[in-house]
Amino acid sequence: MPVRVGIPRGMYFYKYYPFAKTFLEELGAEVVPSPETTKEILDSGVKFCIDDACLPVKVYHGHAYKLRDNTDFILVPRLTSVSQKEYICPKFGGLPEMVKYSVPDLPPLIDTEVNLHRSQKDLKKALFKLGSALKIKNPLRLNNAYNKALAEHHSFKSKVFEGNTPNQLINGAAAKNKIEGNHTIGVIGHPYLIYDSFVNMKLFKKLEDWGIRFVTPEMVDPHIINERCNELSKRMFWSSGKSLIGGALYMMDNSNIDGLLLMTAFGCGIDSLAVEYIESIARKTYSKPFIILSLDEHTGDAGYNTRLEAFKSLLDWRLTDDNNISSYGRSVHSY
Amino acid sequence: MIITYPHMGEAYIAIKAVLDDIGVESIVPAYTTKATMQLGSKLSPESICLPFKIMLGNYINAIKSGADTIIITGSCGPCRFGYYGPIQKQILEDAGYKDVEFIILDSPGEDFKKFISSIARITGGRFIAPIRALRAGYKVCCEIDKMNELVYYIRPRAINKSQVKAITHSFRSNIVNVKGSAQITELIRDTVNKLKAIELDTSFEPLKIGIIGEIYTIIEPFSNLETEEKLGELGIEVHRSMTVKDWADNTIVRPVTGRKPYTKEKRLSKPYLPALIGGHAQQCIAHAIQYAKHGYDGLVQIYPMTCMPEIVSRSILPQIEKDYNIPILSLIVDEQTGEAGYVTRLEAFVDYISGGREQAKAAIN
Repeated sequence: MPVRVGIPRGMYFYKYYPFAKTFLEELGAEVVPSPETTKEILDSGVKFCIDDACLPVKVYHGHAYKLRDNTDFILVPRLTSVSQKEYICPKFGGLPEMVKYSVPDLPPLIDTEVNLHRSQKDLKKALFKLGSALKIKNPLRLNNAYNKALAEHHSFKSKVFEGNTPNQLINGAAAKNKIEGNHTIGVIGHPYLIYDSFVNMKLFKKLEDWGIRFVTPEMVDPHIINERCNELSKRMFWSSGKSLIGGALYMMDNSNIDGLLLMTAFGCGIDSLAVEYIESIARKTYSKPFIILSLDEHTGDAGYNTRLEAFKSLLDWRLTDDNNISSYGRSVHSY
Repeated sequence: MIITYPHMGEAYIAIKAVLDDIGVESIVPAYTTKATMQLGSKLSPESICLPFKIMLGNYINAIKSGADTIIITGSCGPCRFGYYGPIQKQILEDAGYKDVEFIILDSPGEDFKKFISSIARITGGRFIAPIRALRAGYKVCCEIDKMNELVYYIRPRAINKSQVKAITHSFRSNIVNVKGSAQITELIRDTVNKLKAIELDTSFEPLKIGIIGEIYTIIEPFSNLETEEKLGELGIEVHRSMTVKDWADNTIVRPVTGRKPYTKEKRLSKPYLPALIGGHAQQCIAHAIQYAKHGYDGLVQIYPMTCMPEIVSRSILPQIEKDYNIPILSLIVDEQTGEAGYVTRLEAFVDYISGGREQAKAAIN
């Protein structure tokens, strides 16, 4: 019987799942992702995780707990850094420990460290270590699996770049983002917030129903993101902050995009600076409709819907009244 | 050019000594108070950590008393501290303090030329005098540590506890009036002699509590609501895991002399947290283990709300609690300073650990 490796559907799942899945399956393991987030998963996460961690970390704990019975191993990699000279967030680096010491009755964790801070080549070394955790040491087989996983990752990334959301691609329905409507907005946020439809209370579904197209930072060319981040006075050393800031700056300049929706988790360390920066730029320099939605473990969505509807009204007014120049020379909705 | 710098516990004494010795004019910002914090929080992003807000308040106080250049250290991640400088600069500019210059000392490995030019700007192009001044500053750090250790010993044992308070407070008001490392050292030694003259009850055996956690909030007494003093007055001998001297040792002295920083801490924390994740998470774990091995009765972890590295170490601490059988209390601080709640929790914790000691004694008898 093949080894069953569980992958919790949280944190960077929607970024690296196809990669991890292909790699592990090439090594002969059976990959078991946890189901999509539910109220039960969130509740067990909140129960086990320490109280002042951010929402995605709590959700992750819940997913890990969900996998405890039907797996032999759980993959909780230590993602210290996924890109040269950059980090993600200290909590990603300490994730295996947080899960190990908080969630009871877990099967052994595979907590291989992925640290590409020095060089991109360290990825191969990390994966070879991951292989040896599954007792596979044949370098040819590992190398083969690595190449296939990388190819799969690139094809996944290009599909996302074309406008498919990762949750559609991974959860099956690979319909292209072809919504008929009048607006395109930018949805800025970490992948674990904007692609987890339970956490963000079905944001994409609501937007689709209203006929609003959306662009996420993963659908922006990484070169553009890098370029826009050079505007900062200090080198941005968080990969996650970089895609947020670079993506937002690009979308604010792009005249095809009518508004910006920022999604942040309460207590997120990186967002406390990145979102603040984006907001100050958006308020100072640009006059596009702009909204920040802050999420935590409370799941009542009435207030959330009201704010989304207000944002939609703002977009709609632009459509009808944008040419309505008042007598003192400014468009009625330009402030 | 009049230089200023944010407060971090006793760091201002050492920095003042160094700058005075080089001959650069500098201003110590007014001691942090509630008003300072409110001033800072008003301008800060709402969910940023507490040190950011207090530091911003310090800058504004110093600018109002005449400073025009701010020095802070930087880093390149993964903790938020590395981005303090640029964002604070932006906020000060937006708030109308446009002529203030920021000198951010990033590690030389990041951009060596910039580092050298920053140093040159502070010292006016001289490089020999600053090295001598840095040595003197380091010696001041050692003197402060010795004085603090003495205070930790004396406070629970003093018969009249207000004497200790009077001496430490008068030290704080006198230190801003003396200049240069020589005078500062003299004042510290003077204070030490005064402290030594306090009458003690040496038969009293106080409980011992170690203070661990995020470096700023444990070093800066205002930010942790003076936990050290409060515990001392409850009759506890405290020890703080990190000091300005340790920081200087590990970030300046060890790299310059070709040694690796935090070797002991990394070794101790390895079974629990084998990788560097930023901030002082590894050090926090290591200090907890070290205090437990040294027979301390309890530990208090202090960190600012939403501190990323300390959230990780807090998830690990319950395991250390079990493995080493040592109670740990976590205190999270932010700009809401309801002091009574903290005092109650500290008192309850002290009751709890003293109960533990009674039980242990009963078991032996």
